[in-house]
Amino acid sequence: MTTADVYLQQVINGTSLGAMYALLALGFTLVYGILELINFSHFNVFMVGSFVGLGMLELFGVEPNAAALTGFALIGVLVATFAVTMLASGLLGVVIERVALRPLRNVKGPAAMITTIGVSYILFNLVLLGVGADAKNFPSPLPSISFAIGGAVLRLREILIWIASLLLMGGLTYFVQFTKMGKAMRATAQDPDAARMMGVEVDRVIIMAFFLGSALAGAGGLMFGLYYNLTSYVIGFTTGLRAFTAAVLGGIGNVPGAMVGGVLIGLIEAFGSYWISAAWADVIIFSILVLVLVFKPAGLFGRLAPNKS
Amino acid sequence: MTTASLMTVLHPPLTRGDRARRATVTLLTLVLIAFPFLGHAFQGLGFDLDIGDDDVDSVANALAYATLALGLNIVVGFAGLLDLGYAAFFAIGAYTYGIFTSFQIMPAWSPFWEPLAALGLVAKYHQAAGDLVHFTLSFWLALPIAAGITALCGVLFGTPTLRLRGDYLAIVTLGFGEIVPIVARNVPSVTNGAAGLNGVMAPTLFGFNFRVDPTPYYYVGVLLTAFLIFVSFRLRDSRIGRAWMAIREDETAAGAMGVDHVKTKLMAFAIGAAFAGMTGVFFVAKLQTATPDMFGFPVSVMILVMVVFGGMGSVWGVTLGAFVLSLLQSWFLPSLTQWAHGIGAAVNNDWLQHIDLARSTELIFGIILVVMMLFRREGLIPATRKQDALSFEAQNVAGVRRGGFDAETTRKVLGDMSHAPGKLLDVRGVTVKFGGLTALNKVDLVVPAGGVVAVIGPNGSGKSTLFNVITGLVPADSGSIQFDGAEILGLKSHEILQRGIARTFQNIRLFANLQVIDNIMIGQHARLKTGLLGAVLRGPGARREERAALSRTLDIVTLFGNRLAPRLTQVVSHLSYANRRRVEIARALATRPKLLLLDEPTAGMNPAETLELAEQIKTLHEQGLSVLIIEHKLDVVTRLADKVVVLDHGEKLTEGTPDAVRRNEDVLRAYLGRAATDAANAA
Repeated sequence: MTTADVYLQQVINGTSLGAMYALLALGFTLVYGILELINFSHFNVFMVGSFVGLGMLELFGVEPNAAALTGFALIGVLVATFAVTMLASGLLGVVIERVALRPLRNVKGPAAMITTIGVSYILFNLVLLGVGADAKNFPSPLPSISFAIGGAVLRLREILIWIASLLLMGGLTYFVQFTKMGKAMRATAQDPDAARMMGVEVDRVIIMAFFLGSALAGAGGLMFGLYYNLTSYVIGFTTGLRAFTAAVLGGIGNVPGAMVGGVLIGLIEAFGSYWISAAWADVIIFSILVLVLVFKPAGLFGRLAPNKS
Repeated sequence: MTTASLMTVLHPPLTRGDRARRATVTLLTLVLIAFPFLGHAFQGLGFDLDIGDDDVDSVANALAYATLALGLNIVVGFAGLLDLGYAAFFAIGAYTYGIFTSFQIMPAWSPFWEPLAALGLVAKYHQAAGDLVHFTLSFWLALPIAAGITALCGVLFGTPTLRLRGDYLAIVTLGFGEIVPIVARNVPSVTNGAAGLNGVMAPTLFGFNFRVDPTPYYYVGVLLTAFLIFVSFRLRDSRIGRAWMAIREDETAAGAMGVDHVKTKLMAFAIGAAFAGMTGVFFVAKLQTATPDMFGFPVSVMILVMVVFGGMGSVWGVTLGAFVLSLLQSWFLPSLTQWAHGIGAAVNNDWLQHIDLARSTELIFGIILVVMMLFRREGLIPATRKQDALSFEAQNVAGVRRGGFDAETTRKVLGDMSHAPGKLLDVRGVTVKFGGLTALNKVDLVVPAGGVVAVIGPNGSGKSTLFNVITGLVPADSGSIQFDGAEILGLKSHEILQRGIARTFQNIRLFANLQVIDNIMIGQHARLKTGLLGAVLRGPGARREERAALSRTLDIVTLFGNRLAPRLTQVVSHLSYANRRRVEIARALATRPKLLLLDEPTAGMNPAETLELAEQIKTLHEQGLSVLIIEHKLDVVTRLADKVVVLDHGEKLTEGTPDAVRRNEDVLRAYLGRAATDAANAA
């Protein structure tokens, strides 16, 4: 492998990881844009999503050593798995909002944030007690087709992640920019009181933000499994922190910023692991988080929502 | 109404319940001291309490968690800084001791080490290939050293990050808590990596080696906890503690009242870190090993749960919270599991027979966190007690006073107000832009020493921005502001307050969950000197200063007659609107201002209250205080001001005596519109 090949490989790996981080970062950004709340439960909604995906694949009879699916069967299984995973994660997000966060909406101080930590911890431990501490094999329905581009390898799973995340992000952008609900969402992010007075049902907007963000996190969780071929109860934490960094890097509250930030973090992880060491990847990403927050708290692209106080 | 008689009336509410609490604490202390021997003692009496070494060990662990909870309480409870990576400091303390008492780092022996060996800090370790150095740092020495190192780490980490908004701080600390164990794992040469340090020395005291007997550790834990409880209380009831709480309640107002927030937050962070560092030493000495897994996110969450469960900001609360939750793991859940198995066997239920509740500890912690936040945010023992309504007697403790302030007390409160004639405040060509909007455009304004200047203008004309730029809350794009002959533009708000400019806010920014007395005491922050050490030691100087501050607070309160005096110990959010305005003025007076900035002080007051306040401001003026006031009520302006400055759309329209300004056509137009001016002219 030439150096150029190695770099190309890092770009392939980094953009796939980055697409996943971007999906997760969108959930942080949607909720933060509207509620100014760092939603720590999002970390583990992502993790639960990957287990829902695992369950769906097993339900479809996809086993680690079973023959790969092809054609319509493959597409059908993928679409159904993504749909159910996203629906289930989205509903989980809505339940969290409704049960644990809405009663605290008008409480000042860190109460709501502390609650999201509690919820996150509950999900974490429920999964730990339910499925155990060992990492679980994540079967892939994808045939092991790969393309050689010079010395670099592009596998079907990366192509799948790219396509799926492009579709999802495109869908979200369309929703936020061009639908009535999306407009209500942007208005609420600017000024919830004014939006309410103009007839926006703020409760519905908030529920929608949680649903969409959590559904995207679920899709991200499923991609995590397909990418690494395993899942575990611990994945939410580090992945969540990286995705949060992505949201901050792109300017938290800023939807396109989260997407770009996600891809950037993915690339930084891939190249950082290559140049330095994978063991230090989190240290690098965390240092970026601190540097961005300290020197450019609005992120690379600024916040769309003004600073409500 | 004298200060002394005020104190006698206030004395019972200030100290009520102290005797009962002292008795409880004494009893608990005795039980704690006797605990390791209770088993034997009661056995002698024929009872079997079943207290063994493992129970002493459990309580010793609970004590370690209590010290951690006490440290986090200073950061989260007192100063309101949500730290989600607190275990990182615990780890740093632990590794400090671990590294310098284990066989991890062993440089070659050279004469350089001889003096250190004489001090007992290192020992010669004989090996065939050549002698090596074995670090043998004493446990007792390690406690203060680790406290110092972790405090330093707290300052290094806090300096860039404590400027961040509260929620960003949470995520940054979370990351920090993640990073420290990763670093410990990734530098095996220093920390032995994931396997952890082994062979950490046990403490020795007068030649007695603690080894693995839990009892001596237990007593060290008791002493450490008692010490940290003592330090927590001393700090809470001091100038530093009040500043922490002020920042927690309202950072902007705290700055405007003279609290340097970066420094004050760093102190909280450093003290919290030092507590964790000492606990780290204790914990590692007790376990004689340290691995990265002992200090991960679950530990940070556990300590947070203990603080939230016990009551954020409540010293006894967090101690109790740590005890209950720590013993929940080691005592209650195993017992409950046993009962469940018993019941399972009786009803022949397979699931109940195999349940293991101890495995669900962390799940229970998560549930506790959510349930407490939803249903009892103040925790088991709330930091602020519920308040009784005032009795009729208490309400009338001070005489009714209407009209201006008492001249003599005002003189006493204001202090020396003699000044050379001239400009006290000189604002020149100040421009402030918010994005595309020019909020102030080359505004000039002079407040002569001893004068009262009123700023009027329609809403949105830049009056409050002018106040914000003078008090350092908003930066100016150009211009200069001289106060007392020195430039103050560019200074931080607490520095401007120190120079002698105090203010009130248009929308009242008191420290809402603190008592009236604390609000006024915080006003004196910049004029008091007691630092961290002074607050903990509370020597004669610190005591004298605190007494003087309290007496001055009572003087200020007496100015308002029976408006505030009976409500000294009430939480300000429970006060009436007008009384909150009065507390804000009292707080500003407490700062010993030379110039007082009042932003619409009579807004929302009825005519009688407005008149009363106008008279009071007049007394302040008569006693030599200079005042700059924003006011919409023109009768108040006419009554008080020597000079009126009119702002419109960020520019100075005109200035002059109240009468001249009243007749100025431009002013009429700005306020009432052209048609109205024409109508006025026609009439």
